[in-house]
Amino acid sequence: MRRAHLLGLGFLSPALAIILMLFLIPVLLTVMFSFTNMSTATGISGGAYEINAASLRKLADAGAQESFVETLGKESFVVDDAGITAAAAAYGEQFANEVGSQMLGERFSSRRDLERAFRKLKSRPRSTRDIKKAADLFKRSVLNIRFETAGGLVDAVTDNGIEMTPDQQELLTKTIYTGWTWTSDNFALMAQIPYVWRVAGNTVLYVVLTLAASVGMGLFLAITTFYLPSSAASSFRAIWFLPRILPNVIFVLMWKWLAWDTGFLSSLLANFGVPPRNWMLDTGVNAWVFIVLINGIVGASLGMILFGSAIKSIPQSMLHASEVDGASRWQQIRYIILPQLRWPIMFICAYSTLSLLTSFEYILLSTDGGPGGATEVWSLMAFHTALDNYAGNLQYGLGAAMALMLVIVGILASLVYLRIFNFNDLVAKPRIEQ
Amino acid sequence: MRISIENFTKSFGDTTVIEDMSLEIGDGEMLALLGPSGCGKSTTLFAICGIHRMNAGRLMFGDADVTEVSSQKRNVGVVFQNYALYPHMNVYENIAFPLKVRKESKAEVDRKVQEIAGLVHIGELLQRRPMQLSGGQQQRVALARALIRKPDILLLDEPLANLDAKLRLEMRSEIRRIQLATGITAVLVTHDQVEAMSMCDRIALMDKGQIVQLSTPKDMYESPSSDFVAGFLGNPPIAFLDGTVADGGFRLANSQVTLPVPSGIEVPGEGAPMRFGVRPEFFQPGNPLKVPGKVSFVETQGREELYDVTLENGAVLRSIQSQNAGFKLGQEVSWGIEQDRVLAFGPDGNRL
Ligand SMILES: Nc1ncnc2c1ncn2[C@@H]1O[C@H](COP(=O)(O)OP(=O)(O)OP(=O)(O)O)[C@@H](O)[C@H]1O
Ligand SMILES: [Mg+2]
Repeated sequence: MRRAHLLGLGFLSPALAIILMLFLIPVLLTVMFSFTNMSTATGISGGAYEINAASLRKLADAGAQESFVETLGKESFVVDDAGITAAAAAYGEQFANEVGSQMLGERFSSRRDLERAFRKLKSRPRSTRDIKKAADLFKRSVLNIRFETAGGLVDAVTDNGIEMTPDQQELLTKTIYTGWTWTSDNFALMAQIPYVWRVAGNTVLYVVLTLAASVGMGLFLAITTFYLPSSAASSFRAIWFLPRILPNVIFVLMWKWLAWDTGFLSSLLANFGVPPRNWMLDTGVNAWVFIVLINGIVGASLGMILFGSAIKSIPQSMLHASEVDGASRWQQIRYIILPQLRWPIMFICAYSTLSLLTSFEYILLSTDGGPGGATEVWSLMAFHTALDNYAGNLQYGLGAAMALMLVIVGILASLVYLRIFNFNDLVAKPRIEQ
Repeated sequence: MRISIENFTKSFGDTTVIEDMSLEIGDGEMLALLGPSGCGKSTTLFAICGIHRMNAGRLMFGDADVTEVSSQKRNVGVVFQNYALYPHMNVYENIAFPLKVRKESKAEVDRKVQEIAGLVHIGELLQRRPMQLSGGQQQRVALARALIRKPDILLLDEPLANLDAKLRLEMRSEIRRIQLATGITAVLVTHDQVEAMSMCDRIALMDKGQIVQLSTPKDMYESPSSDFVAGFLGNPPIAFLDGTVADGGFRLANSQVTLPVPSGIEVPGEGAPMRFGVRPEFFQPGNPLKVPGKVSFVETQGREELYDVTLENGAVLRSIQSQNAGFKLGQEVSWGIEQDRVLAFGPDGNRL
């Protein structure tokens, strides 16, 4: 490598580091997460093995034999050294020794059996209450005990005298593990979600409608401000630019206020006898109208600026020429201005498709996917699944898998756009001749 | 169609660019608007085609007052300085554009485009984009577009400025040929005096928003109304001698040399400042009225040679002579002025 190349690389390195940190690492993490079953239940650090009511239910669901599940759930009584030591401390050496010499290693499936055995001993405690208590000292159970490793759990279970076939052992350790594991089930799971196709459809609808609205409005604004006197045009542009610099939350709050059942629309229409209602969440169609308007108006300002400057870069003389050639205003727009806006329009479409696919903040703030999922789009679904879930179990893994689909669609779309635009060509030749 | 501009005034904001201009252009005439950069030629042209509104005054096409008529309805063809072709249309579509916006039938459009393309010799370029054309070809396309709907008036704003010398020469006669062939009234804006003189019936010489002289090229060259006009026309340019009136003659400044005043002009009072203008072709070795000086500059122009002669008082006279005269730089010479062709100007610069 030549020294100049090294130098160039050196200058580039901050940018490379930023690309790595802000783009590649999140994508890699998304890929990684999407192949796990991480959720609130599993946590994102390692898990443990614990047999409890819930994990037994899971085990039964996973197809373990009923008798096996039952044995695991039962407590048993084992005469072992630990129990004998405890008994010695509580009820004296004599009793302990007697138990040790006569019953060591014996196993009882219920307390009553153990009590009955105790009663046969000479040095047993006198009261029935004490015998019950003494029996409790020998209670052994794997229930509600956390084991850090699978081996610990297996040992404990066998110590309790529960025999397991290797298959049962594997099933047990796999199903009751509380931490996350690697899996590729997320994609199959995603396909099984009943509303997933509706969400995909919503996403397409959202992108197409918002794009049409923002490009249409942007074009309209750019052209009208072009024909306006310059001072009026710049204040007009400033007004339309406000939504973009306004904090999103405030912008959406204003829309909500407009649509609330005690808000502007309802109050206004009350004068005409229309009953008040929440216009935004009233019906799915209404929600869509608001979503498209909110996003479209924000998007329009970008189009307005881009198209506006593109129109300004059309040489004056070309517009003059079209006038003396006899073109009316409309014909001038139709035949001279619009054709020369082809590239900016395509650029906005490409750019906005990509950003709309992944942006959901205005939907989240306004309808939150409602009413009844009518405006739920893919990115919002990923967000809801992974980070904001009414059921409370946040499924990070599944959410990441959903996000990964967006990344893939985005990359494919970018490749197509690069093909269409043929950026090298675009850079090489000016599209507007001077 | 006759164009008459009456008392035309144009201002941009506070600056008045053209004040109270009147100009009459005859039917079928080709008139040049000639003048230095920024004198208001394009502004006048844009007022005629309606791109600029006039602040005051009246504009007549024939007998019709078009002052308030929009540019779309004036039926004027314009060739812009940078041609202003539409880059997203091919040559055919560019030329057809004025007909397209008038919704003429396809067959009609096609017939007219072929006809006009033949006239300006671009028949084989119709499918190209403007970007794929040379400057001269673009210029012809612009001309064709301006002519296609048979406008009453053709306006050309420095149409040859972007062309190389040879092409410019070619296009000069080409445009004139087409103008004569169509019999259209044309206004040519230019700051090139050769272009104005060779192409046009009359020249309107402008300076600072005023028309300073309006006459045929020959008239303007031979009897300019002021030293500005005399200085503007002619290549190589006229040389000026400054001096005063002394004993009924012309005393060169800072010098004892006195030259006789050409016959038939009214000499201002004794001691008044005066200017002599001498064109290079009238300062020759053979002429009788000698002025001594030293050759200070020699330029070979191929067929001819151009000399600058610095007189004793520092003034410079120019001479153009056929080749092989063989004078050297620094040589002392004593060449003569053709007395009757000297142009004399008064203190205000006006011709005496
Ligand atoms: N739109 C405008 N706004 C303000 N001033 C202008 C405008 N157009 C022209 N002018 C001024 O009017 C004057 C005349 O301009 P014009 O374009 O008519 O000059 P011109 O004679 O065509 O010069 P050139 O040979 O350089 O094209 C110039 O001083 C110019 O600065
Ligand atoms: Mg000009």
